[in-house]
Amino acid sequence: MVSAGEMLVLAGLVLAVAATRDPPGKPENVSCVAVQEKTTISRIFRCDWATVGRQTSDVPTKYTLNVVVIHIRNYSVSTEGTHTQVEFVDTYPHFMNLEIWVEAHNMLGKIESEHITQDANSFVKTNPPSDIKVISEKYFPTSPLMNWTQPIDKSYGKLKYEIRFCTIGSPNWTYVPKGDIATDIQSFRLQSLQPYTEYITQVRSQLGHWSDWSGTTMKTAEDRPTSKPDVWRIIAEVDGKNERRVQFISKDPVFANGRIITFDIKIQEQKNDNLQWDTILVNGSESSDGQRVITVLKDMLLADLRPVRLCVTANNSVGTSPMASLFISAKGHEDPPVKGLKVWSAEGKLWLQWTPPNGPDLSEYVVEWVSGDQTDWQRENKNTRLTAIKGNLEGFVRYTVSVYSIYSGRIGKPASKEAYLKEGAPLEGPVVRLNDKPGRNEAELGWVEIPLHRQRGFIVNYTINYTGGGETHEITVPSNTISYTLKSLSSNTKYDTWINASTVRGSAQSSTHSFTTLKYAPGEVESIVVGVCLGFMFVVLMTMLLCLYKKDVIKENLWPRIPNPGESTIGNWSPDYPLKAETPKENCLSGISVLDVDVCDGKSMFEEDKACLPLKKDKYLSEEHSSGIGGSSCMSSPRQSVSDSDEGSDMADTTASTVQYSSVVASNGYKGQTPNPHPQQAVFSRSESTQPLLDSEENPDMMIQESSRQSQHFKQENPAEIHLLEMDQQQQQQEEGVESLDFCPLDEESEQTKSSEGQSAASSYMSQREGYRPQ
Amino acid sequence: MNGHVKSMHFQRFMETATTLLSLLLVMAFDSSRTVAASRNQQCGDSVQKSLKLSRLLQKESVDLIKTYKASQGEMSELFCKVSVNNVPDPNISGLEPSEKIASIYTHLQEFFPHFEWVYKQQTDLQLPTSPLLSDLRRFTAGSRNLAYLIKPFYQSLFPNVPLPEGGPTTLPPPQNVFQQKVYGCVVLKTFKELLSNVSRELRSLKSQVCRRRTHTNTLF
Repeated sequence: MVSAGEMLVLAGLVLAVAATRDPPGKPENVSCVAVQEKTTISRIFRCDWATVGRQTSDVPTKYTLNVVVIHIRNYSVSTEGTHTQVEFVDTYPHFMNLEIWVEAHNMLGKIESEHITQDANSFVKTNPPSDIKVISEKYFPTSPLMNWTQPIDKSYGKLKYEIRFCTIGSPNWTYVPKGDIATDIQSFRLQSLQPYTEYITQVRSQLGHWSDWSGTTMKTAEDRPTSKPDVWRIIAEVDGKNERRVQFISKDPVFANGRIITFDIKIQEQKNDNLQWDTILVNGSESSDGQRVITVLKDMLLADLRPVRLCVTANNSVGTSPMASLFISAKGHEDPPVKGLKVWSAEGKLWLQWTPPNGPDLSEYVVEWVSGDQTDWQRENKNTRLTAIKGNLEGFVRYTVSVYSIYSGRIGKPASKEAYLKEGAPLEGPVVRLNDKPGRNEAELGWVEIPLHRQRGFIVNYTINYTGGGETHEITVPSNTISYTLKSLSSNTKYDTWINASTVRGSAQSSTHSFTTLKYAPGEVESIVVGVCLGFMFVVLMTMLLCLYKKDVIKENLWPRIPNPGESTIGNWSPDYPLKAETPKENCLSGISVLDVDVCDGKSMFEEDKACLPLKKDKYLSEEHSSGIGGSSCMSSPRQSVSDSDEGSDMADTTASTVQYSSVVASNGYKGQTPNPHPQQAVFSRSESTQPLLDSEENPDMMIQESSRQSQHFKQENPAEIHLLEMDQQQQQQEEGVESLDFCPLDEESEQTKSSEGQSAASSYMSQREGYRPQ
Repeated sequence: MNGHVKSMHFQRFMETATTLLSLLLVMAFDSSRTVAASRNQQCGDSVQKSLKLSRLLQKESVDLIKTYKASQGEMSELFCKVSVNNVPDPNISGLEPSEKIASIYTHLQEFFPHFEWVYKQQTDLQLPTSPLLSDLRRFTAGSRNLAYLIKPFYQSLFPNVPLPEGGPTTLPPPQNVFQQKVYGCVVLKTFKELLSNVSRELRSLKSQVCRRRTHTNTLF
C-alpha cells in the first residue's frame, strides 16, 4: 500500500524527470534541392532543416522526411540528423506537385514542420550556364554582347538568368536589372560599360534554385577620349639667369577610352601667337598598377617675366580628346596660395587640409607631391578642403606636398609642406670628422648630414657621445647643428666619439671616430722653449755682463798672472822689514806673485847674459800675502811682492793656494851679476816667481847638486818650470852669500824647521814632481 | 392613407428591393468570378503542367530514339521505318474535351505495357550498364507521370464522368532479335507521335476547357 506522501514524492520525481526532458522541437526552415546530373535532373532529393529546442542524449529526437509525389507515391526517410535525402524511382517527378514535411519525434511526443507543397521543378538547381563569350564590337564599345549556352534543355522549364559585371580589381558588382533579362535566352547585350576597360562578366540561371555563377573576363573596345588630358608642369630655377626651366608633363585623360598614342601641343607665349600644333609621340608602355603614365610634353626655358600658355589634346586610335590648357604666370604675378596647409599621415594615407584663398575665379586645386625627381599630382574640386593623396606613396620617403590654387587655368602660388607617409629610423648615422686638429682640452667635431634617401624620417636631434679617460659623455644638440666643440677634455687622452641621429621612430649610430688630445697646448712648447731660451740668454747675458764687469777678478782667479821670471827683477827692501817671516803654514803658500810666464815665450832664461828680470817691486804691493799661486793667505806680515801684472789685479784672491816654492837667499847675486863686494845689509831679494822653492834654494849646498839632476827632469816635465828652476839655480849660485830667506815669515820654529822644511820642501818639492803639493 | 401615398411607398420599396437585389447579384457575380478564377487557375495549371510534361517527354523521346538506334548496331536507321502490328494508335480521338482528355489518358495507358515489353527485350539485348536501359526506365516513368497528371485533371473537370481505363493490351508474339529491335524502335517512334498529338490537344483543351468553365460561371 502506497501512502499519499509516497505518491506525492513519486509524482514530484516524475515531474522533475520530465522537466529535464523536452518534447521535440518543431523543425524549421526545411529546404530541399535536386541538382542537375549531366543533361537531366538527379533522382536524389536532399532536404535540410533546422532544429529547435534543447537536444539531449537522454531523449534522442528522430526526424522523418516525408516527400509525397501527389497522386503517385510517398517517400519517407528517417534520420537523427538535420538533413537527409530520398531517391525518386526511375525519374525526377518533373512538373508534379510535391508535398514535403519533416516530422520530429521522441519518447515525449512528435511534431511536424510546416508542409511545403510546390512543383517539383522549384527544387531543381541546374548547372551554371556554360560557354560564356562576351564580344565587344568596334562600333559599340560600351555595349558588348554576352552569349552563353543554357545548362539544361528548355523542355525542363524556362530558365531565368541574372547577369552582373565589374571592372577587374573592383569589389563592386553591377547587376543587370532582372526585368531587363528575358527568360529562356542565351545572349544579352550589356550596356554602359567603359571603353577599353577590362571587365569580369558573370551569369547564372534559375529553374528552381539559382545556379552558381559562371563568367569570363573581357575588354571593351576603344572609343574616342571623352575627357581632357591632365596637364601639369615642373619649374626649376636657372642659376645666374632670370629664367626658369619649365617642363610640361601630362597624364592620359581619365576617360582615355583607349591607348593614347600621341599628344598634340600648342605653346602660346605672346597674345597673338598663332602657332601650329606639335605632335608628341607617347611612350608605348602602360602602367600596370592602375596609375596613369606621365608623359613629358615639352622642355623649355622661360623668362621670369614672361607668361606662357600650353594647350594639349590626346589622341588614341579612334579620335581626339577635348583640349586642356595650362597657363603659367610671370614670376611674381602668381595668384594667392591656400592658407593654413596641414599635412599628416593617417590610416596608411597622407592627408591634407587647407583653407581656401581669397582670390576670385578659383576653379580647382592641384595637389602635387614630389620626391627626388619623381613628381605626381591630382586634381581636386574647388570646394575641397580635406583630401588624401590617391597615388602610391612609399614609406620612409620624404615628400614635398604642395597645394596649388588654379584660377581659370592660371596656376597660383603653392603652399608646401614636407611629410612622410611613414617614418622610420635612419639607415645610417652621419659621417663624423674633426673640423680641425684637436687641442689640448677641446676638439671641434663636425658631421655630414645623412643623405635624404637614407634619413627615412625627419631628424629631430643629434646625440654626441664621446668616451675617454674612463668617462663617457652624452650631449644632445638640435637637428640644425652640424658641428660642436667638445670642451674640458683631458690632455694627451684618446677619445672615441660617435653620433646618433634620431627621428621619432628611432636612431642610427655613426661609425666611431677616434682622436687624441695634445699633450701641450699649441704654442705651449714654443713658449716653453722660448722662455727657456730667453732665460738662458738672460743668464748668459748676465753672466757675460758679470764677466765683463768682473773680468779682472775672474781673470785673476782663473788665469792668475804668473810673472815671467825672465822679466822679474830682484827687489831690494830694507831690513826694516822683519826678517822673520812667518813660517808659512802647511796649508799656506808663501806669497809669491804670479808671474805670467809665457811657456811659448822664446826667451830663454838660461842665458847668462840675460839680465835678470827686474823686480818690479813697485808694481804691486801686497800687504797681506803674496800674490800668485804661491801666495799664502795666512801670512801676516806684509811683504812686497812683485807682480808682473800690469793690471794690478787683486792678487789676494789668488793666494788661496800658494805654495812656498821659492826663497830668496841673499847671495852674491844672480849669475852673471857682479856680486857686491861689500857686504851690505842683508838684502833680501826674492824672485817674484811663484815657483816653489827648490831644496837648493833652501839648502843651497845640498840642493845644487840635486837641482842639476832634477833640472833635467823638470825640464822634461815643464819647460817653463824648468826654466824657472834654472833661474833659481842661477839665483842660488849668484847669491851664495845671501842668506836664504823665506818669503814666509820666519821664526824659530821656522828656522828649525828650515832644514826639515828644506827636506820637506825637498820632499815636497820632490813630491811636487808630480805637481804642486796640494794645500 | 390615400392610394397615392400607398403607391409611393410601394415604389420606394421596389427601389430598395431592386437596389438590394442588384447588390446581391454583383456580390454573387464577384464571388463566382473569384471562384471561377481560382478554378480557372487550377485548370490552367493542370493543363500547363501536362503540357509541359508532354513537351519534356517529346524531347526525351527524341533523345531516347537516338540512344536506341545507337544501341542496336548496324542498319538501325531502317528499324523505325518498318511498320509493325500491335503497336497502339498514336492519334487522339473524340470531339468533346472530355472525350479527348479521356482518349489522351487511355492512349498513354496503352503504351505502358509495350514499354515494359521493349525494356524486357532490350535487357536481353543490351549490357546491364547500357544507358538505353536507364533511359527507357526514366522515359517510361515520365510517361506514367503524364498519365497521372491527366487523370486528376479530367476528374476535376468531369467529376461525374468516369475515366475509361482502357482495354487489354495485345502484345506481339515472340520475336527474333531483328523483330525485337524493329518493334522497340517502332514503339518509341509511335509514342513520340502520340506525345506530339497530346501536346496539340492539350493546348487546344486549355482554352476550351478552362475558359469554358469561366464562361459558364459568368452566365450563372
